[in-house]
Parts: sequence; structure tokens; C-alpha cells
Amino acid sequence: MQTQRGLWLFLVPSGLVISLVLLYPLGYAIYLSFFNYYLGGQPPTFIGFGNYVALFGDERFWGSIGKTVLIVAGAVGLEFVLGLAVAFGLYKLTFGVKPLNLLMFLPHIVTPVVAALFLRWIFTGRWGLLDAIIMSFNIFPPDWLGTPGWARFTVILADAWQFTPFMILVLYAGLNTVDNSQIESAQMDGAGNWTILTKIMVPAIKPLILFVLAIRIMDAFRFFDQIYVLTAGGPGTATETLTMYTYALAFRLLEIGKASALGVMTLLLSALTIGLLILVLYRRDKGAF
Amino acid sequence: MPGFDLDRRRALGVLGAAAATTALAGGTARAQAPVQMISHRFPALEFYAEKMRGAVEGVEVNTQLMPFDKANELATIGLSSKADTLDIVYANDTTVHKYAKNGWLMPLDDLWAKFSDEYDLADFPERALAPYRYEGKLYCVPHNVNVMLFFYRRDLFQEAGKQPPATMAEYVELAKEFNTPMRAGTIKCLKPIDATMNEVHWYLNTIGDGWFDQDWRPVFNSENGVKAIEALKEVTGYAQRGYATAANDECTLALQQDLAAMGLQWASRTAAMDDPTKSRVVDLIDWAAAPGGHTRTATDGYAISAFTKQDPELLFRILATSSSAANMREGAAMLVPPRDSVLRDPELVKQFRQYPGILAALETAVPTPPLPEFYEAGEFITRRILQAVAGEMEVKAALDAAAAETTQLLESRGYYR
Repeated sequence: MQTQRGLWLFLVPSGLVISLVLLYPLGYAIYLSFFNYYLGGQPPTFIGFGNYVALFGDERFWGSIGKTVLIVAGAVGLEFVLGLAVAFGLYKLTFGVKPLNLLMFLPHIVTPVVAALFLRWIFTGRWGLLDAIIMSFNIFPPDWLGTPGWARFTVILADAWQFTPFMILVLYAGLNTVDNSQIESAQMDGAGNWTILTKIMVPAIKPLILFVLAIRIMDAFRFFDQIYVLTAGGPGTATETLTMYTYALAFRLLEIGKASALGVMTLLLSALTIGLLILVLYRRDKGAF
Repeated sequence: MPGFDLDRRRALGVLGAAAATTALAGGTARAQAPVQMISHRFPALEFYAEKMRGAVEGVEVNTQLMPFDKANELATIGLSSKADTLDIVYANDTTVHKYAKNGWLMPLDDLWAKFSDEYDLADFPERALAPYRYEGKLYCVPHNVNVMLFFYRRDLFQEAGKQPPATMAEYVELAKEFNTPMRAGTIKCLKPIDATMNEVHWYLNTIGDGWFDQDWRPVFNSENGVKAIEALKEVTGYAQRGYATAANDECTLALQQDLAAMGLQWASRTAAMDDPTKSRVVDLIDWAAAPGGHTRTATDGYAISAFTKQDPELLFRILATSSSAANMREGAAMLVPPRDSVLRDPELVKQFRQYPGILAALETAVPTPPLPEFYEAGEFITRRILQAVAGEMEVKAALDAAAAETTQLLESRGYYR
């Protein structure tokens, strides 16, 4: 028992690091969110929930929530579908899996802002790579970054380009853990690939799917770098997400208190989304989480 | 292992000596810490950054150059936290008011008087200094006077038998006429915030009634203001693809690569049109004052942080040396010199073919309002205007919303009391 009690000491270093880099900034952001704190002027004044109330009455806040949900759902949905399809393809492949996996993972190791710069030169109008290729066939493509609908589609595509490899990696690892005897039995009963994937493999890796979706949703709610570089929130407000609005509040309007409140609300929103996801995926399996 | 012990002792001795030397050298290095400069980036400012690096012998100047929005944000973060990490800060006629109002900059009047003769500072006319005064005190050493002027393809205009447009209506017509799938009628730079504000400034001052009245009440949503933004919206129909995310770099590129027939751009970008390594339209572009005039003029200069730990006289020497008449003459192809002796030099006008257009544009150009919160207000105004241009809102509704938001912002900053 003495040894058991002493084990908590091993948690101290990581606990300290987590407190320093995670809990302290989070606590400080929550603290600042209760102040009217304008960076350019007077000392901060305590206003309680004033910033939160102001945000609830702010049309721009609701607009950015709508766009965030749309972009997050689009990006994570696309990444999941593509990731699962490619992971299943790799699972069925009998040779070259490792090099293929490695190659496909490359976009994920690029720093998001650098990836966004690459993508900007691909999607930019007229002299961008994509336009140049399409226009060489005398076809005039849409203005990828200049029209609201296409701009949203492009940022979703950009996110998918970078983060689908993560989905592939995790889902491929998951598919390999599925009990082979179940698959063989299904095959003997005449089940095809689609049935095996949807009726046996996907249910078998449900906890892993939940994990990977939760990770990606949390990440996607913080989606900033690529939007900042590709569209800067435009055209108009077509891609102005919560993080873009937070950025504008903090660094353009210098409203640190309000920006902190928005950061806290983004955190709550992403936690709520993940909670709902758990509820939906496990509504029949009480006690699973 | 006696040999090993000996080696280890020797190694420790060498390391000890090295550590002592490093400590001593470190002491010296700390006494001469590099001067930290942060700046907006375009060719003229890159030229001045180079001059600052060699301005004072033995003094290292670390220059960080980046796009305007980033430089402004980083300067705001550094200065608002009263950090001594910045010594020399880029400021234009708009940002200087914000920085000075918040007490982030050092007034330069005493240094200016002290070094006036040594650096011939009387050569800077008052019109070059005025934008850098806040409540009567001077905060910047001017390095460049920039102005937006009209770039147009001389060959295309000649082929079509056209003259540069004199009015906004003529400009819109020409944009429509020159617009083809392969070459846009005009460039438009509508990336938020700075680039959009530059374009909007032209329309609001030419067709509309400007930005604010004397009491800082918005007038950009007046009847004429609505007409101005409707004209802007119409012209975007003839603009280059990607105009909504284009800033000065992208617009310069569109002109250089023969992707647009004309448009508004800064004087500091004129030389780039004739750079054969970057441009496909060398000697094909001419310049004139913009139709209707009233484009934006801006001053680029450098200030000293109020929180610097460096010797202010040393920093001032760096600024005064880099903005010498000789440097302005050397860089005249890429900048508009604020010093009278250089700007009015007839030789320069002969040497650089863009100068007549620049001088013509300067005659009618107007600076942005000297409101310290102008960029903060710009966040609301440009956002709404871009919503109108993108078709998310009607122009009138967008401008009214922007006016209400701007009024609320300025009220919260103590205006109208």
C-alpha cells in the first residue's frame, strides 16, 4: 500500500507541465472573460457575465457559429468518409501498404500555415496551379476563393487534404484489430465488402471512431491557419468561423475580455458537440462511456 | 585509466576557459544588444531596412519585415504589453495616432531639434511631418510618402483609341470594355482590412461624402456613400479572379502578368512593373492620377518605442541616417521621397517615368481620417462593405449597420460626450 501511495509522485511532473501550459492559460482566459479589457486603453474593469451577454446578443457571433458548424461538419464528415474508404482499401491490399501509408501521411506532417500557403498557390485565381491546368483545356473554372460557396468548399477541401491522413492512419489501425473469424464467417455466409465493412468492422471499432471523430472535431473547431491564409474569413463573411471572429476581437479590435469569453464559449461548444456525439453513438449502449 | 583522467581534466579546463570566455563575451554582447525593428514590407521599406542595418557602425539592427496587418498586430501586442522587445516601430499616418494616443511611442521633438543641423532635418517640409503629429508632438521620422495612382496599359488604351479615364463613370465603362475571360478589366484588392480600406477610401472620397464628419459621426452611409459602394460592387464584376482575397502583392502580380488592364495601386509598386525578371509588361504600363482623384496618400515612417531600453539618441541616429537625402535619391525608383530637396529635384522627374503620374496623384490625394481608432472602425466597415459586395446584404443596409457599429465602438472609446 505504501508503494501504491508513493506512485502518485510520478504524476507530479506531467501534472505540473499540464497545469502550466494548459490549466493556467485556460483559467486566465476564463478570468479575463469577466472583464471589460480593452488592450489600447484604460485598466480592465470587472463586468461579470457582461461579455457573454453581449456575445449572445451579437449577430456576428451567431453567424460565425453557423459557419463553424457547417465547415466543421463538412470537413470532418468528408475526412471520415474518405479516411474509412482508404483505410479499408489499405486493409484489403496485400502489398505496398507501408510505403503507401507513409506517402499518404505526408500532408499531415506539414505545418498547417505552410500547407495553407501551398494550397493558396493551388487555388488562387488565374495563375494558381488548378486554374492553370483547367484553363489549359479552355474551361473557365469557378473562382475558388472569391465566391462564397466555393470558398467554403475550398477551405473544407484544404482541411480534408491535410487531416484525412490522420483518419486513415487511425482507422486502418482499428480495422486491423477486428477479429478475423467474424469476417471469415461473414464471407462464408456470402457477405460482400460493403456488408463486412458496415455491419462487422465499423461496429467493432466504434470506440475508435468516436475517439478519432472527437479529436478531429476538437481540432476543427480551432480551424484557423488555413482560413486565415486562404480567405481571411471572406469573401464577405462566408468563411468567418468562431476562431476568425476571436482573432478579430483580440487582435484587430483589441477587446481581450470579449475575445476570452468567445474562446471559452468555443470550448464549451466543442465539448457539447462531442457530448452529443457520444450520446448518439452510444445511446443504446448505456455505460459504455 | 590515468590517461583518461588527464584527458578529462584537460577537457574540463578547456570547457571552463570556454565558459569564462563566453561569459565575458556575453557581458559585452548584452551591452550591445541588437536593435529590434519591426516593419511593414514592400520594396521601399526593404530598401530602408537595409540602410538601417548599416546606419551606425558596430550597431546590429535586427529588422523584421512582414505584411502590414501582421506588423500592426505584432506592434500592438508588443507595445500594449509595455515590452522592451521592440525598439524601432513602423508607423503610417493612421497607426501612429493609435500608438501615440496610448502612450506607446516616444515623442521625438527634442531629438529632432538636437540633430536638426547634423541630419538636415529642415529639409522635411511640414506637410511630411504633419501626419506624424499627435496633440502637437512629433512621433515619427518620415521615410516615404506613398500615394495610390492609376496604373493602365498604354498599349491596350492606344489600340482601343482611349484616354485614361477622368471620371469614375468613365473608369467603370472602360473596365467593362476591357474585361475579357483572359484579362480582367481592372484590378481590385478587397482583402480585409487594409487593402479594402484603400479601395473604399477612393470611392467614398470621389463619389461619396468621405468617412466621418467633424464630430467623428459616420457619413460613409450617406446617399452618396451608398452610390459609391454600389459603384465599387459593379466594378468587381470586371475585376480579376480572386479579388476578394487580393491585397497589394496579388494586384501587383495581376498587372505584371498581363491579367488586368488597369487599376489602382500604390506608387511604390510602379518600379515593379518595369522589372524584366518579374514583369511581362515592361514599359507597357503608364501612370496617371486616378479618375476623380481623392485616392489615398499615406506616409511611411519609423518611431521609437516608449519602452525601449536602448539609447534613444542611438535609435534616432539610425532613423535619421537611413532617411538621408542620399538614401532617398538612391531609392527614388521605388519610393516617393518626403524630403523636399529630393522630391522637387527635376532630374528625378526626368529619370523616372512614373514621377509625373505620382506628382499628379499627390495633388488630389487625401489621407485617411486622423482617428486613432480608424483601423478598429475599419474592421466593422470593411466587413459590412464586403458583405454587400459578396451579395450577402444590400449596400444601404450594410453601410447603415457599419455606421451603427462604428458609432457604438467610438462611444465605447469616449467619443461624442
